[in-house]
Amino acid sequence: MPPAPSPTPDEHPFAELIRDYVAECLPLAERVTDTLIALERRWAAGDPAEEEFAPLKGWLHTIKGNSAMMGLVPLQELAHALEDVWGLLAARPELRPRAADLLLRGSGLLADLIRSAETAPPDAGLAAAFREEARAFLGAAPGAAPGPERRQGERRQGERRQSVALPESDTVRVTSRRLDQLLEIFGEAIVAQASLEEAARALGVRAGARDDLAALDRALTALQRTLRRFERAVMEVRLMPVATVFGRFGRLVRDLARAEGKQVRLETTGGETQLDKTIIDRIGEPLVHLVTNAVIHGIEPPAERVRRGKPDEAVITLAAISRSDRVLIEVRDDGRGLDLERIRVKASALGVTPASDDPEDLYALAFLPGLSTTDEVSELAGRGVGLDVVAGSVRALGGGVRVTSTPGAGTTFTLTLPLTVAVVRSLLVGVGEERYAVPLRDVMATFRVEPERLHAIDGRQMTLWQGMPIPVADATALLGVPAWAPPARRYCVVLSASGRPRGLLVDRLLGHRDLVAKPLDPALGRPPAIAGAAILGDGRVTCLLDAAQLGVVREAESGRAPIAPGRR
Amino acid sequence: MSEELLFLVVDDSRLHHQMYDIIFSKPPFQGARVLHAANGREGYALFATHPELTMVFLDLNMPEMNGLEFLARRRAEQLHPHVPVVLVTTESTPADEARGRDAGAWEYLRKPFTPEDIQRLVARARPAPRA
Repeated sequence: MPPAPSPTPDEHPFAELIRDYVAECLPLAERVTDTLIALERRWAAGDPAEEEFAPLKGWLHTIKGNSAMMGLVPLQELAHALEDVWGLLAARPELRPRAADLLLRGSGLLADLIRSAETAPPDAGLAAAFREEARAFLGAAPGAAPGPERRQGERRQGERRQSVALPESDTVRVTSRRLDQLLEIFGEAIVAQASLEEAARALGVRAGARDDLAALDRALTALQRTLRRFERAVMEVRLMPVATVFGRFGRLVRDLARAEGKQVRLETTGGETQLDKTIIDRIGEPLVHLVTNAVIHGIEPPAERVRRGKPDEAVITLAAISRSDRVLIEVRDDGRGLDLERIRVKASALGVTPASDDPEDLYALAFLPGLSTTDEVSELAGRGVGLDVVAGSVRALGGGVRVTSTPGAGTTFTLTLPLTVAVVRSLLVGVGEERYAVPLRDVMATFRVEPERLHAIDGRQMTLWQGMPIPVADATALLGVPAWAPPARRYCVVLSASGRPRGLLVDRLLGHRDLVAKPLDPALGRPPAIAGAAILGDGRVTCLLDAAQLGVVREAESGRAPIAPGRR
Repeated sequence: MSEELLFLVVDDSRLHHQMYDIIFSKPPFQGARVLHAANGREGYALFATHPELTMVFLDLNMPEMNGLEFLARRRAEQLHPHVPVVLVTTESTPADEARGRDAGAWEYLRKPFTPEDIQRLVARARPAPRA
């Protein structure tokens, strides 16, 4: 048998399958980790948990075989080392509690290396270091000399082992780069269609009603319908289950909890919910942030929990919930909850007052930039660590974050994510000479306002909407549009800022457009109230407004209209 | 024996099926047909209904009837003894291999294998050149 081929992507006969390798092996490695976390608990309680323990070997074996086939020798050997430890534990249940930590580190490393296999050859050093550890563990156990193949228990394991889905005859493999390309080309088609429509409109104005123009109109309508279907098709092939993100949190929570001396169990639901690949790729980091915060700041030490009449083991829940045009991801903990008073004090030190005394508006302050860095992080209100960063990355995906909390009972962060990232259905508004786009998903209503319907209350502009007073910001001041004499009658766009209605005064309403969103160049920093840029049909670039930023109102010293946080 | 190549792959790893597909879509196998099964039970059903199989690649470790159980049943039922069945393993000792051969495996294939390994096996099983 020739030695294992080296993992150079260009030469290896199966290099093109690397993504499939990750897709098959990563869930297995994560299942190993999740099972081990559950086992560790049961072992500590003196339960050998035989039936949960048995299937692990099959998963490791599959990872080992697959890694070998892909020429990923360090991964093959790492899986093998884990199998060896497993083999010893199968025969010697009394050693299990002592091995849990070793196994968890190994399976965590396995998952990490599999995850990165797509981009870089696996780190042979890390794998070798673990093999040494495993060898030391095996050597320290008297009478343990596992051979390369231990078949005992194999049949039992087989019964529980989950079979991996077969390729169906109507399934093809596509690289993620191709998928991104498809999206990009689709974006260009949308822009071209918009220019075509603008040109046709201009033509119609000049030429008046004519039969051939009516035909053009019909063709454009048909094109629009086709592009909608195209969009749906493109989006559908890009969907991936949220479970691919949730998978890594079991170990994170366990490790953090252990480091903090806390007892925390992670529960996940809705892993089968699907999201666009781009969102799947980018949502991990904000979630890590929130989960880390929950373990470190949200959850009380066991003794304190018991004192408060709670179970000593805390629960963090990651839940994905599908809504018609969006997906909600909740990060829930049953910890101490947010300290609203502290948040208010800190916000006021930053010169920010909440839009109202409503708890939602107070919670929105937790996302203020700089709020967290003012105090040591271990304090009660240190919950705000980097929440503005979390909110920023979620908004960059066209989503939003809200937080609710019950003192003493826990905190829930809710991320609202769009299903699609390609096209933003928008309302185009005119502010001065400029045009801005507001994502339609944030627009609750639009109405015309006469100046006399605007009222200054406590130095803040308010108006009535559906019989309820809502704060209103003037887009001219908010966006720093050059001096401009606004028309007497303007429009109020009611936006949902983290679920709360907020008015935005604009000069004109210019209609609906499908925009292709482009992320802002990071070199520009994060301009306030701007979520991204988009290309209009005439090739001009417009800015997408960020409704969530209107949720927190800062009172500027100049006495100008309220502006968004982050603006100095 | 038909000149058309027909392979049966019995493996619980989807990735392995993709690998076999890559191998069998390239020379000298282009045009070959491949049947896929995710476990021994499914594989046996396909095996039973395809006496014209060129070769079977049978994974040893599988849920729902492993490779050795597959071979034992085939022997008991005297089913298509002319079809060579290759037992595929990740690692095996000489004793394991002897056990597999006793059970009726025509040959052993150890992971990691390459397209060339498969080509050699097929060439050995069908010495006549393809028409």
